[in-house]
Amino acid sequence: MRLFNHLIVGASLLAALPAYAQDGTKVAAIIKGLDNPFFQYMHQGIEEQAKAIGAAVTVQAAQNMGDATGQADKLTAMALQDFGCYLVNPISVSNLVQALVPVAQKKAPIVNIDSSIDPEQAKAAGFAVTTYIGTDNVAAGVLAGEEMLKLVPAGSKVALVAGIVGDVGSNARIKGFKQAVEGKLEVAVEVSADWDREKALTAATDILAAHPDLAGFFAANDIMALGIQRAVQTSGKDVKVIGLDGIVDALKSVAAGELSATVAQYPFVVGAMGVEACVAAAKGNTLPAKVDAPVLLINKDNAEASLKNFPRPGGDYPDPFGEMLK
Amino acid sequence: MNNPADNAPVQKAGATEESRTSLTALLTDLSFWADWASVVGLVGLVIVFGIAQPIFLSVANLQALLLAAAILVVLATGQTFVVATSGIDLSLAAAVMLGAIVLGLVHAAGWGIFLACVLAVAATSAVGLLNGVLITVGKIPDFVVTLGTLSAITGLGLILSGGEPTMVGSPFLLKLTSGSFGPFGYPVWVAAGVVLAAHVALFHTRFGVHLLATGGQAESAHSLGIRTNRIKIAAYTISGFCAGIASLLLVARIGSAEPLINTSLLLNSVAAVVLGGVSLFGGRASILGPAIGALMLTALVNGLTLLSVSAFYQPLAVGAIVVLAALIMRYQR
Amino acid sequence: MSGEPSSEAILACKGLSKHFGGVRALSDVSFEARRGEVTAVIGDNGAGKSTLIRCLVGVNVPDDGEIFFDGRRHPFANPDEARKAGIETVHQNLSLIDELTVVQNLFLNREIVRRVGPLALLDRPAMKREARAMLSRLSINVPSVSARVRRLSGGQRQAISICRAVGSGAKVVVMDEPTAALGVQETANVEALIRRLREQAVSVVLVSHNFDQVRRLSDRIWVMRAGRVVATVQSAETTGNELVALVTGAA
Repeated sequence: MRLFNHLIVGASLLAALPAYAQDGTKVAAIIKGLDNPFFQYMHQGIEEQAKAIGAAVTVQAAQNMGDATGQADKLTAMALQDFGCYLVNPISVSNLVQALVPVAQKKAPIVNIDSSIDPEQAKAAGFAVTTYIGTDNVAAGVLAGEEMLKLVPAGSKVALVAGIVGDVGSNARIKGFKQAVEGKLEVAVEVSADWDREKALTAATDILAAHPDLAGFFAANDIMALGIQRAVQTSGKDVKVIGLDGIVDALKSVAAGELSATVAQYPFVVGAMGVEACVAAAKGNTLPAKVDAPVLLINKDNAEASLKNFPRPGGDYPDPFGEMLK
Repeated sequence: MNNPADNAPVQKAGATEESRTSLTALLTDLSFWADWASVVGLVGLVIVFGIAQPIFLSVANLQALLLAAAILVVLATGQTFVVATSGIDLSLAAAVMLGAIVLGLVHAAGWGIFLACVLAVAATSAVGLLNGVLITVGKIPDFVVTLGTLSAITGLGLILSGGEPTMVGSPFLLKLTSGSFGPFGYPVWVAAGVVLAAHVALFHTRFGVHLLATGGQAESAHSLGIRTNRIKIAAYTISGFCAGIASLLLVARIGSAEPLINTSLLLNSVAAVVLGGVSLFGGRASILGPAIGALMLTALVNGLTLLSVSAFYQPLAVGAIVVLAALIMRYQR
Repeated sequence: MSGEPSSEAILACKGLSKHFGGVRALSDVSFEARRGEVTAVIGDNGAGKSTLIRCLVGVNVPDDGEIFFDGRRHPFANPDEARKAGIETVHQNLSLIDELTVVQNLFLNREIVRRVGPLALLDRPAMKREARAMLSRLSINVPSVSARVRRLSGGQRQAISICRAVGSGAKVVVMDEPTAALGVQETANVEALIRRLREQAVSVVLVSHNFDQVRRLSDRIWVMRAGRVVATVQSAETTGNELVALVTGAA
């Protein structure tokens, strides 16, 4: 027991160093999880941007996507410390509301990234977030739909593969895609594959058998798109597959001419912009209430460039907070 | 049925051990550490974190810490009853989710918050009852049954909720989670009440002795006329009931009912039970031990967060401590 | 099949038969254990002693025949009924709960409770007192009544099993191989305990393999072979050789 405590102290002192080593704004960040690449890039974006602009940042995360109370507990603990700004990516629209009350009381800016906090509940608790930076999933779906229109003849049949039933992000992406293709393509079938590669592969195999004239698939994330691509390859048919997220494997697949396209979102940028917003707010700037993080369509033309810059976008993007810090 | 221990040479236990009283002997006696693992661990953590980060010992943080531990304390108490019968309830965290969903839906349907709370607890208790019946009457191993109900109620929760969270804007629940009596928030009092009731039930009633007997040697207990099946069913139902209480605290805390399962609640409930000196082979239990174990696990995460240790290291620390505790448990007297 | 057992009999049976599938475990067995005596049942493995005992204490229900207890016809549907009527069984291993204390074991399923409002709470001081009294009545030594049974020796455990059986006010204590798993010294202790029971006029039915032990302890010996009772002898009037001959069928 004693030995173990020593180890903990040792480890914690090491880990604690960066947070206190520099001057500048102290930023507390709490994100959803570290167990998937999306949040890892967000984490990376937060840390790298903090280093770039001389802010000290401490990043905490929930244990898993179901750890709504654990995330709140950690934020409560961080609220007791003297951070100058709080960067939050909540698991649900309400789980951090109570933990943010003391943050709001000490008048520290609250920058909400990725998943939004319900404004009604925040208002009831007596605060409002300083700014929200997120990705517009509907817009991303629209981009995917528009690319599909270019790839397949008008009136073709397409299949949609969603994530977990009821997932807000999945619904928004599918909704955007449908908006873009409405009246121009026929949605033959819509299934859920729980964000899972293997489930998507199985579903796609069945769909290909049931609809021999299918022209394209849209998957609500890249992992599922890669599974579908495998099924298409096995079938030997020419069916277009478009994913969404812009993970490395998908970019490589697009570059290799397998996956037709993906719509890249940039959690790295969401995290980085979040830190910029925090520092800007701490310096007294007034922030816009809502900022959209970039989404870019990646096809064979720009896949190589995107891969080279990963996890940053291949090109420039509008960054209102970066302007404030110049 | 031949028990090898009975054939072993005469054990001169008892007399020799009780004559050891000196402090050094006590400190080098592993069984002392085994019996007091959670207390020693908690005190150790408080000292270490208190020195490394003074905010840890601030009143505000200690209050937050107790508040944060309330749900886990309640769940660990429920899990203790099951583990004491040498079983395990893997469906505990899923039952919490189901309770939350039922609470959310009944409240959204306008039936009032009290009925919603009652039905939520009834639903999770029913899950526990079902577990108990399947394990005893169905004669299916506990982990298979509770793994099955884990999956089944996950599905049921998704079906009922349509996979979507339900807002629960109830003044009563808001009061429950943010109000306080004396220095402690209501959830802390709820947890303390559950712990007290469980302690009385386990150590001051016939049911408690029969539960421990059932966990120790079910066949022997049965041969003495103890209705071991009923006892086991009761243990799982209590576990379900505690899951229901936890679901109320959860919904109050996060303001919505979500169809998501917090698997770390399940793992930590078992971890707290192990840290609390409860034998996983049944028959030997404590209520305060697991409650302190739950406090210790919460303090660990709280302290590491205050020390800005990356979330990557936190599950590792919890896991290491649990395995260490389980190792020490082998030296229990 | 006719006639009541003698008035001296505390536990008896007539014409008992039992078969398991095609195997006939007991055929037409009549047996009686007398009040205040130690009655032994011996026989080879598979001779039917255990089945006889299990029928008498309600674990098995006989196919045919009658069981008498305390002078009345009294079939037991399960061990619970037998226990409630006053027959306690001390099993070879299946008796004590290792993780419970001596007191908890002695009072298992007949705990002393006191009412506190709506609750029935255990009266632990009363049980401790009572436990010490029970143990001292039978001169049983344990380190502490609060010690976990796991920490006791085999002999101490067996003594506590027996103490529990007697302490429940049983009219008959049935012991199935009570010393089979014990060392020499512990066997001697348990035998001394059985003698004390006899002195206190507790009726005992003793199943054993050990012919010398049976002759030392019992008043009367019933010999079984192949599911039947083949002889009943007075312990004082028999020899080890005679018993061996009866058990093996060489007589």
